[in-house]
Amino acid sequence: MSELPNISEIEADCLMEIFNIGVGHAAAAMSNIVNEEVRMSVPSLHFTTRSDAADELGADLSLCGISQHYQGAYATEAILMFPETASFEIVRMMVGDMIPAHELGAMEREAMCEIGNIVLNACVGTLANMFEKDLIGSLPVFRVGSSQHILNPADEEDDPILLMLRIDFSLERQQIEGYLAFILDMSALRDLREQIRIYISRLEAGIAPVGLSMP
Amino acid sequence: MKDNLLLDAFSALSLGVIVVDSHYRVTLWNNWLALHTGIEASEATGEDFFVLFPELRHHRVGVAIHQAIFHNLPALLSQSLHRSPFPLFVEPTQPVERISQAVTIVPLGSEERYCLIQIVDVSTAVHRESLLRDQAHELLAQSLSDGLTGVGNRRYFDLCIEKEWRASKRNKKPLSMLLIDVDFFKRYNDCYGHHQGDECLQTVASEMRNALLRPNDLLFRYGGEEFCALLPETCADEALRIAETLRGRVQSLALPHVNAPAGVVSVSIGVATHCQHAHAAHIELIQAADRALYEAKHAGRNRVNASTGGCSDTTAPQWMPHHALR
Repeated sequence: MSELPNISEIEADCLMEIFNIGVGHAAAAMSNIVNEEVRMSVPSLHFTTRSDAADELGADLSLCGISQHYQGAYATEAILMFPETASFEIVRMMVGDMIPAHELGAMEREAMCEIGNIVLNACVGTLANMFEKDLIGSLPVFRVGSSQHILNPADEEDDPILLMLRIDFSLERQQIEGYLAFILDMSALRDLREQIRIYISRLEAGIAPVGLSMP
Repeated sequence: MKDNLLLDAFSALSLGVIVVDSHYRVTLWNNWLALHTGIEASEATGEDFFVLFPELRHHRVGVAIHQAIFHNLPALLSQSLHRSPFPLFVEPTQPVERISQAVTIVPLGSEERYCLIQIVDVSTAVHRESLLRDQAHELLAQSLSDGLTGVGNRRYFDLCIEKEWRASKRNKKPLSMLLIDVDFFKRYNDCYGHHQGDECLQTVASEMRNALLRPNDLLFRYGGEEFCALLPETCADEALRIAETLRGRVQSLALPHVNAPAGVVSVSIGVATHCQHAHAAHIELIQAADRALYEAKHAGRNRVNASTGGCSDTTAPQWMPHHALR
């Protein structure tokens, strides 16, 4: 098993701030699409391993996951997850249909893919800016299944480290809780900590952090 | 030789392909696009993408192109959330209805940045989906109508008010609601029996439904002898007028009711209109209508009363549910 990084409170706060900026951009993009206020926030995050994350989410809950692979400076995968029932609700609210969905059809899956694409790009874009390294993304892939299936579809032996964020999503009066997992390799993890350190020292020196602007 | 073959294949693709460079200039434009935009490759190539499609500059398409070129991030635009972002037509000389599209935008190149835009015609799938959706709506309508009176049931009301509430917020148009109660209905049932009570409700419901002339006005059985009407895009004065019409029509039915002061079946109606403000919840509209109905009952029944405070009025004195008066 990989060793979990020790992350200080200030480092965690700094990451939260960065991701909250990211999901803020995603929420604004979604608001533009549905012409209604969409709010998103990241109330907590922690490092864990893939197997522990699957256990934490529980084996019984059916999840829908949208994943994108990134290549370049690092090979990583980012996965946005919602309980399957909540994803029906998100699509229904976004599309504005009155029919309560019980199963995601092809169109709804595609809409869910786009929503995932917006959130993942906003978060990864923010991260990539922070790393000041290029990551090239793939198009989103949609999966439904247990947490084990979503986080490790190929049933790989190794147990990489995950950065898990909780994402709160609210549209009109609906509150929906989701998760975002970044599967990080060792070099990504090392760089992430290094960049957090630089980010904090810049803040302490009173220099506005660079690279946090997104279109 | 191979390059030519590649270009031929590219031209012959049965989907739209555009390659844009880092200055947003169109570098490649295939035949399919020429066919559906009416713009030939020779005209499009070298042109600014946003000159060709000005409406897409501040659209998610524009943002996605920027993200692809400057951040290497790919984007997918789903049909459900963006029906037809590009002005593409089956026959561009007769631009009637845009082709339904699914769009992907991905980064290309390493030294020089480009982005590849692919547009797939999904009209067939959309058409099939809309047929299925219509059928689903039909089935839903059956499960959402009240068995006795045929008007919408309470579940349907809950779905509709949520939808209309959001629409009213989005369009900044008022939403009105009427809460309608049959006067002295318990006495009617006691006197004429439940069977005739049911018939009375059917007659009243059908009369009120016929009196609602606009297609978007909906009548529901809210529970027992209580009905409600949702009137989208209707201001307070108009709602009051409609309520008065419904009250008058029920009275004109002249259904005998010996235990009512007027000797006929009548209704009391509470009217509320939603005044748009940010974080109001639709329960406030229902409560305002309920308060207005309570006052109508209190003032002697067979009358219409409009909520004075509106839905935002939290300073109104404590109100009792009008049910207490039954």
